[in-house]
Amino acid sequence: MSKSKLAGLILGIAGFLMPLVVNFPGLSLAGHLAMSIFLMAAVFWMFETIPIYSTSILVIFFQVILLSTEGFITYSGGDYSPLPYTRFIATLADPIIILFLGGFVLADASVKYDFDKSMTRLLLSPFGTQPRYMILGLMTVTAFLSAFMSNTATTAMMITVILPIVAKMEPGDPARIGMALSIPFAANIGGIATPIGTPPNAVVIAALNQQGVDVAFSSWMLYATPLAIIMLFFAWQVLLRLYPPAVANIPLKLDGKLKKSRNAIILYVTFALTVILWVTEGLHGIRSAIVALIPVAVLTLTSAFEKQDIRKLPWEVLWLIAGGIALGISMKETGLAEWMVAAISWEKFSYLLLLAVFGAVALIMSNFLSNTVTASLLIPLAISLATSGILEGVFGMMMIGLVIALAASFAMVLPISTPPNAIAVSTGMVKTKNMISSGMIIGVTGLILILLMAIFYWPYII
Amino acid sequence: MEKKIFILVVEDEPEVLDSIMRDISDFEAFFPIEMADTAEEARELIREILDRDDQVGLILCDHVLPGDNGVELLVEMQKSEETRKTRKVLITGQAGLKETVRAVNEAELRHYIAKPWEKEELISIVTEMLTDYVLENVRQPLRFMQILDGERIAEFIRKGGGLTDN
Repeated sequence: MSKSKLAGLILGIAGFLMPLVVNFPGLSLAGHLAMSIFLMAAVFWMFETIPIYSTSILVIFFQVILLSTEGFITYSGGDYSPLPYTRFIATLADPIIILFLGGFVLADASVKYDFDKSMTRLLLSPFGTQPRYMILGLMTVTAFLSAFMSNTATTAMMITVILPIVAKMEPGDPARIGMALSIPFAANIGGIATPIGTPPNAVVIAALNQQGVDVAFSSWMLYATPLAIIMLFFAWQVLLRLYPPAVANIPLKLDGKLKKSRNAIILYVTFALTVILWVTEGLHGIRSAIVALIPVAVLTLTSAFEKQDIRKLPWEVLWLIAGGIALGISMKETGLAEWMVAAISWEKFSYLLLLAVFGAVALIMSNFLSNTVTASLLIPLAISLATSGILEGVFGMMMIGLVIALAASFAMVLPISTPPNAIAVSTGMVKTKNMISSGMIIGVTGLILILLMAIFYWPYII
Repeated sequence: MEKKIFILVVEDEPEVLDSIMRDISDFEAFFPIEMADTAEEARELIREILDRDDQVGLILCDHVLPGDNGVELLVEMQKSEETRKTRKVLITGQAGLKETVRAVNEAELRHYIAKPWEKEELISIVTEMLTDYVLENVRQPLRFMQILDGERIAEFIRKGGGLTDN
């Protein structure tokens, strides 16, 4: 075990024990136990002492044995009426998890039938062979795909596209760096565009749902897609300025052709139907989680997606999200979140400053931590700001939720910030210092844009 | 600690050994290279590597060696559980058909390099073999992306290997 993991283990256990021996005035027994779970999870997530999904599982486990009616502790007459244990384990079938499951099935089936590659060929060709527009094309395709598929898988696929292109470029051409950075940046940015784009969106939307605030697929897109598009153009310009292409033309040859087997066609139709129903949720009102069952049902009943494909789905990501949702539930229900929020006198903060603080903290944290973990740790506090009246009701909750989710996705300074960043640096085409300078510009600009949207855009459409 | 993956070169002629080492020196930063000039010495090295809980990813083995020949060593490695996964390449100027057939059938020989070889050819074979090895045996192949076949490693990740969104 490495030193940092060992430090994490010791700190995590100490964090878990601390609320059991220290009495915090104003916090119930359940609140103390919820704090034990929160501190342990925060430390384990930060130090990655155990895999992050494993920490999520541990959160649910401790909630069941410490905070549920079926647990070891009998709560009587206090401020906390224990929840049935089903409430905690049901997070694993939360509508947002089902939405993601549908997304995973679509994405994995697309990989199985090379639909992601076919779409890339189709969408990339109009951008031509001039490097600057080719980079824009690569970014557009990456962002589009990563809005519906995992950012990581999209990046990996696009890396297979650019490696042969880059191999033909002069070793000294700065556009090599620009191109290698354009992919992970576009994947990170594309993830914000839809609820299923990236896991932090799920954590935030689930937390809002718990408060009775519904976020339709199409509404989320209305809030976030314009931001994604602006940031995509901005990132493109930043990369062109920092790494101007040295040649006028780069040959682009994309091999392969559209699969036309029965199963492949079933996938194309299901994919199109599902996406259309998702983005038009505002018109027909069928919830996105229900729509998400369409690909799961259709692709499995036609055997386009088989047993071994189901086994290969990234289940640990669903556990990770579920743990984040569950953590929020216990912090809210035990009064812990409210107690923590009350420790700071927020009255001194203006509304905008409050959003800025949460956005900046999310941005900084998720540069070092998993984006999902960042959202999971911040959203319970943000929600209780709204429920305790510091932020204005449903509207305030939506705003701060959006700020946290979007800011977490704009963290792209280091290779460890996101898996797409890690892949790009691993190719050897990009140095970490290239990523730091351009990632910093994009992150800070992204945060400013989020705040501008919070002032000038979202209030008029929420 | 990640396990180290070794390249083992078995060659008794110093000039040939030098030339192999020169050609594959780029890999050294990622895959430490060990040299032996007899099958006997190679066995000892393999033992040492495995005892340290490291792995032998690739063996480049000359056919004609003093004592046991290269084919015998490769067949023996194939029979042992711990070295079955090692990619095996035979280098030779004069292997008879019978010996070659045995190496293919019994040592699952993946490649055969005839002397003299081109540097590019050797590098591409080593890249290919080590990529095979890494994709089958390493949980997180990302760190080898820049030295090995990046496209194949990226394709592996695309299909859900090693990395997911977090």
